[in-house]
Amino acid sequence: MRQQFARRSQVLAGALLLVALAIIVQMTRIQNSPEAAIFRQQAENYAYEWRTFYPNRGEIYDRNGRLLAGQVTVYEVGVDLINVKDPHAIAFAVSETLDLDYTQTLDVIQNPPEGISYIVLADFVEASKAQYLQEVKKALQAQATAGTSGGLTGLQFKSHPMRSYPENALGSNILGFVNREGKGYFGVEENYDNLLAGNPVKVLVPTDPNKAIEIPHVPDGTTLILTINRDLQAAAEDILDASLVEYGALDGVIAIMNPSNGEVLAIATSRRMDLNKFWNYGVVYDNATDFNPAISKTYEPGSVIKILTMAAALDSGTVTPNTTYLDTGSVLIGGVTIQNWDRNPWGVQNMVGCLQHSLNVCMVNLASQMGANTYYGYMDAFGFGHLTEVDLAGEAPGRLKVPGDSDWYPVDLGTNSFGQGVAVTPIQMMAAASAVANDGRMVIPHILYGMVREGRQYNVPAQYGGSPISEQTANVLTEMLAISLESESSLALVPGYRVAGKTGTAQIPVDGFYDSSETNASFIGWGPVDDPQFMIYVWLERPSTSPWGSDTAAPVFAEMAKKTVILMDIPPDSIRQQIAAK
Amino acid sequence: MNVPNVNHLIHAYRIAPWRVQRQWIGNTLLLVVAFAMVAALYLNITSRTAIAGREIQDLTEAISVSQQVSSDMQTQLAALTSAVAMETRARELGFRPMEPDEVEYLVVPGYVQPQPVDLSTSALPQLSALTIPPEYNQSLLDWLDERVTATRGPQ
Repeated sequence: MRQQFARRSQVLAGALLLVALAIIVQMTRIQNSPEAAIFRQQAENYAYEWRTFYPNRGEIYDRNGRLLAGQVTVYEVGVDLINVKDPHAIAFAVSETLDLDYTQTLDVIQNPPEGISYIVLADFVEASKAQYLQEVKKALQAQATAGTSGGLTGLQFKSHPMRSYPENALGSNILGFVNREGKGYFGVEENYDNLLAGNPVKVLVPTDPNKAIEIPHVPDGTTLILTINRDLQAAAEDILDASLVEYGALDGVIAIMNPSNGEVLAIATSRRMDLNKFWNYGVVYDNATDFNPAISKTYEPGSVIKILTMAAALDSGTVTPNTTYLDTGSVLIGGVTIQNWDRNPWGVQNMVGCLQHSLNVCMVNLASQMGANTYYGYMDAFGFGHLTEVDLAGEAPGRLKVPGDSDWYPVDLGTNSFGQGVAVTPIQMMAAASAVANDGRMVIPHILYGMVREGRQYNVPAQYGGSPISEQTANVLTEMLAISLESESSLALVPGYRVAGKTGTAQIPVDGFYDSSETNASFIGWGPVDDPQFMIYVWLERPSTSPWGSDTAAPVFAEMAKKTVILMDIPPDSIRQQIAAK
Repeated sequence: MNVPNVNHLIHAYRIAPWRVQRQWIGNTLLLVVAFAMVAALYLNITSRTAIAGREIQDLTEAISVSQQVSSDMQTQLAALTSAVAMETRARELGFRPMEPDEVEYLVVPGYVQPQPVDLSTSALPQLSALTIPPEYNQSLLDWLDERVTATRGPQ
């Protein structure tokens, strides 16, 4: 009996073992079968998928944290052709909402190119319109009878960011714009295109949750903080717009910079465009130099350049502030007679009078005494004919003819000394004059204050472009300029604040001859004289109320300076001196 | 009980045939239970890993959506507080631009003029692989190795 049970147990155990072995054999066979290989291949096909990431393009802020360029979400509206149930309904809804042609839309859905399973009907669709279509799709799905699909089945929405400029046209000449392909044009957007980046990236993404660690991290573009003060920029644009009307000028520029560190605080230009409608570029501008004339458009600046001629003369030891000369009203140089702006003699003048009355004859004498080599050496050191390297796209180097150039003549030494026959940009003039305002040290103008990446901010240090003149020369000349403004009761004076500066009135060359009726009026000035915190450049193109910079550009400077001291919290000289005394 | 009887019982126990069978059954069951425990543990860990992976995928997507929403709202806020909008609002409320001679300056001891904005957000060190506790990235073998090393103590 006992042996019988034992035998049965052994038989049962053997049977179970066989079953177990059979299962293992079958598992092994299935795992290694050709079908298994096919399934594995299919699984691998679904393990990863190509996905397009739309990282945010870096934002742009002003120095006080005001957003100047950000992002908004827009939608790509497309059709998954495999799942379309009612092409007529889709064509109707989309054409009505997105202002598309019904027939064309229907044709695209019904007759797609061969091998295409998804087509884009519209891109950069506003969120409100896309959301409306999504709600219609949901409503139709809810109304459909159980088990059937709604009329807009197959209509798909993919969100992605688009550049947006909340200030619209404010500072458009500084910012530039980004087109639909994500490429930056002009200004900061072009100059820092690589840093701002944020271009769409197509990458393989694992769908297997066990490989979630492999999900790629596509970093957003670098956020930029500009040196621009938004409120000052708005004020400059308002003042410029009003000035163009008041003085009947064709175009104009007001640029404001901190002369001690080169931070550009505002650049107002008369032509501006709503950056959210960048396709209007061709309507607003005639050519690329109009986008930001402060850095791209060269012109003969006229007497503002006398500051630098005088700086060179003082620094080279050619004259001192008290050096006198007899102004006869005209001087011969290179076979050409140069006259004063009023064609009159001014008698005995010292160097302050020379600047105060803006005497061409005086400047020609200074340049002649220095000699071409010395004079052009200083002009080169001031950066004329070179880029300032301001970090905005489209800067022009200007032109300074020098001895040895095929088109340089001896008379150019005379005309260049008072700002004719030389082509400069306003930003070049500011960079050069910063040497006078900043103890002889010339700054490199810059627009980038700092950048933020991965949560960390890196500030950009000030950069300097050499010291073309000594500290003593700079301080003496600043004092001379301040006295000359005060002596002539210039319209550029700012009550409560001592400022230094110089007007400029330049004839405009047309077809090789100077136009006798139209001028470029300019003014460059800075203050407070004892601690310069702002430098303002005003350029009015062809003012019609008066050709003179002293009547047009100078009062614009004063108005801008009054606004600047308020917005920059600069107390009047008397209060600052009281504070310093304490 | 005398000693010869005890020896007899021990001998009888040792030579009992069912004893050998029970030993075999016991050992087999032990193996089966051990295998089942390892399999259950593996299944549990694998399923939890898969769930965590899916959560990571969902959260990655959620972060992306949140960032888009945040950007949208920042831009909306900037548009609402733009220079033109603020000036219009101020004028509607009866304000007008200030003139320089209307400003009164007070000397406030210790006052520091506002500096340009600082948009840094990472005051604390970023979470990196080095700061993740080992429990989250250590394999079973790594853990065993660590324990063995800890038990041995310093050499």
